Amino acid sequence: MSNTFQLIKGQLWIHFEGRTFIYEGENSQSAAIQSQSGEILSPMAGKVIKVSKSIGQTVKKGDLILVIEAMKMEYSLKANSVGIVEQIICQQGDQVELGKLLVKIKVEKK
Amino acid sequence: MKKFSRIAIANRGEVAVRIIRACEEFGIETVLLHSEADVGTRAYRMATKKICIGPSSTSESYLNIESNIKGALAGGAEAIHPGFGFLSENADFAEACEKAGLVFIGPSSDSIRLLGDKISFKNLAKQANLPLIPGYEGDDQSLERLLSEVEKIGLPAIVKAAAGGGGRGMKLIKTIAEAAELIESSKREALSAFGSDKVFLEKYLGHAKHIEFQVFADSNGVVKHLFDRECSVQRRHQKIIEEAPSPSLTDELRRQMGEVACRVMALGKYRSAGTVEFLLHEGKFYLLEVNTRLQVEHPVTEEVLGVDLVKMQILAAQGEPVFQENQALAPRGHSIECRIYAENPFLGGVPSTGVLGKVIWPDGPGRRFEYGFEEGDEITSFYDPMISKVIVWDETRDRAIQKMKRVLKDSIIFGVYTNIPYLIEILSHPEFVQGTMTTQFIEKYFSAPLEKPELNAEEKMFVEAAMKIGLPFDGISSAKSPWQSFWKDK
Repeated sequence: MSNTFQLIKGQLWIHFEGRTFIYEGENSQSAAIQSQSGEILSPMAGKVIKVSKSIGQTVKKGDLILVIEAMKMEYSLKANSVGIVEQIICQQGDQVELGKLLVKIKVEKK
Repeated sequence: MKKFSRIAIANRGEVAVRIIRACEEFGIETVLLHSEADVGTRAYRMATKKICIGPSSTSESYLNIESNIKGALAGGAEAIHPGFGFLSENADFAEACEKAGLVFIGPSSDSIRLLGDKISFKNLAKQANLPLIPGYEGDDQSLERLLSEVEKIGLPAIVKAAAGGGGRGMKLIKTIAEAAELIESSKREALSAFGSDKVFLEKYLGHAKHIEFQVFADSNGVVKHLFDRECSVQRRHQKIIEEAPSPSLTDELRRQMGEVACRVMALGKYRSAGTVEFLLHEGKFYLLEVNTRLQVEHPVTEEVLGVDLVKMQILAAQGEPVFQENQALAPRGHSIECRIYAENPFLGGVPSTGVLGKVIWPDGPGRRFEYGFEEGDEITSFYDPMISKVIVWDETRDRAIQKMKRVLKDSIIFGVYTNIPYLIEILSHPEFVQGTMTTQFIEKYFSAPLEKPELNAEEKMFVEAAMKIGLPFDGISSAKSPWQSFWKDK
């Protein structure tokens, strides 16, 4: 068994006793997915294949906002809060990078 | 028929490498038909000739029949191996090869139409009175009709791509409310992956086991089955772990299913390697579909039987005998395959793309690594997330599981997240260890993302301090802990 490590684009990859640890930088997948602010970020590099909402529409938490395709599978991105679609910064067919802001929802205050 | 001197490969990744290896051993040259994105891959570095057939997008390259045919002809190939996925089960492609004077390494276009088209296959099996799952496979593909059929079949039901495979376009419908969205999504995925949006519906059998039989038919019409594999460990209808033989079959079931598998292939006048898939539900088996191609999981059959299916395909395509006289086909020991997916197991399996860093495969007896990418190669979002396969063989199932866990722990892939931590958990689960898992196994026990392993406070401090002062991070350490070596290397 070998322990090894490597620095790749600011992330430290460590293989230690049979497990890989990743010491992530800021532009991480988990940050993109766990965004709660009404911003929908792309959780992966992929292609926008469907935008289901338009600007001004009211959405509830869990509503389908858009569909991204990566590695031949479809992923549905859903609203993370109740609000109104304020901005759509992508269109069908766009190739997008991890962490890119795709849709902004004006969060409704309770 | 004469022997091939050059074979074109209409595929990419690890399967392209697998085919190149078989060709090399036969002294056959290869032409890799690749997309613009796939210049930095292992198959590209290995092939005798490479011909770019189009841009990264699959519809303009790997799924484009004309570009593939043109490429193969320009490369001076006499035959095309389609691998799996892409055009491998496309009857129009097989026919285009036949018309262009290229030998399609696989069944005839007629056999693909009969057996590979899931709807035609169901009709054929129905006529022969073979056991099928209840469902709808009609020509009326309107949403209204499909929705009313879903209600007729009863929930849960499954919608599948007629031209599909590998779980693409397959969706489980649990409530009527979501049925329309799932059917439309299935049609989109099917169109993008297979070039046809035709779907069919089936009753969903819960707690079933996925068992399949490898069949091989040579050019003289001799049809033999090469025993069974079990692939019950599936997620989103995509296989993750496969093994041979199945731990679930009695000798009697194995005999009966093997017979049905051979009958199906004989009905379709099959030639080359193919697989008949079954569901085993409460002790009864049902035909699921036929895969008219080599399967991703073919290595586990090769390991327990001591055969080389790709070479057998090449021989059959050359019109040569494939089976030795008095060749006894009997499985020995146990083999397991784990598919390595580039995905983040700590975030529920979302795709992970990027440039690969270090990749280390811990080789040894009974360990086999099928991989298409090496350090410096980029894993892109254009293609399937499967980047490699790890296959082990040992004398018993328990020992094969034990070996696989060790091998996975010692396999190193940097640069993209992989499902390796997830595979290790699955292999340790009591239901997998007992061999009683069903196709719902993953959904039942592994639907939540894995807990991300965290560095402890001391280790974190070391790493942060080390990153600040910019130590030479690139290196393999023989020291017991990488933390130690950060300081040693100073």
